[in-house]
Amino acid sequence: MADETQKETHPEQPRSPEPRPQDQPRAAEAAPAPAPRPAESRPPEGGRPPREGRGGEGRGGEGRGPREGGAGAGGAREGGKRGRRGFYRKKKVCRFCVDRVDYIDYKKPEQLMTFIQERGKIMPRRITGTCSRHQRWLAEAIKRARNIALMPFGGAR
Amino acid sequence: MDERLYDMIFICRPATPEEEIDKLLATLEHTVEERAGKVEKKEKWGARKMAYRVHRHREGYYVLLVLRATQGDMVHELERRLKVSDIVIKYMTVRLDEDMKRQKRLAQRREKKASRRPRAGGRTHGHGGGGEQPAAAAAQAQQ
Repeated sequence: MADETQKETHPEQPRSPEPRPQDQPRAAEAAPAPAPRPAESRPPEGGRPPREGRGGEGRGGEGRGPREGGAGAGGAREGGKRGRRGFYRKKKVCRFCVDRVDYIDYKKPEQLMTFIQERGKIMPRRITGTCSRHQRWLAEAIKRARNIALMPFGGAR
Repeated sequence: MDERLYDMIFICRPATPEEEIDKLLATLEHTVEERAGKVEKKEKWGARKMAYRVHRHREGYYVLLVLRATQGDMVHELERRLKVSDIVIKYMTVRLDEDMKRQKRLAQRREKKASRRPRAGGRTHGHGGGGEQPAAAAAQAQQ
């Protein structure tokens, strides 16, 4: 048991006391580093949200190392820090699951607004980290809200 | 027949006088009563900006009705009235009872789970989980 806990904490340890490995790939890291943020807060991503998500440039910039380590790890796929055991990615958690949401109300567009891109697209799961069930509910709520003009179909006209 | 729950939202032209909206609401309510339905909630959100233009209007007066219906044609009739009305520029009816049923079911399930296991150990926090497990084991041993 003690072994297990140690193992678990291990990859996290190099985070603070060992910034050295990060220094080297900084040039490469610069691109994906902002990636984890858009997941949580939309504003900073500015003019081009889909780019990073789609992984065209963002992913390419990560270099080859990360690919093997982190990219395979299903749910969590944002640029992260490089630890001793390869690439470390911060696992995203479904925000609705955290809040224990059973029903997503289409009548509250303020809440839904955080899940659309500025051209009105519904944010993909891979960026927001929403679980499949909640994404399904969310999509339905957004579509309903669009229908009654609470949310835009495409962009702010 | 089983009861069904509906959300009915409609948007009136922003320039409509309040009395007209009240009049429309009265006729709608009358229709509901006629068809053995019930108005659970009646909310006037007032004029608010719409996300896109509808009939060249940028604003609309939103009204929400939550209805309970037993007869299938009630919604039909209400929608027909909204369609005919000149002041209504957009309307939508959403059937809610199934979502609500699901919501209730999930809440119940969670409650049950919570009562069965007072506090679930977080997987990510190795320390917390590690601390709890020996305690649980000890409790079992005592029994």
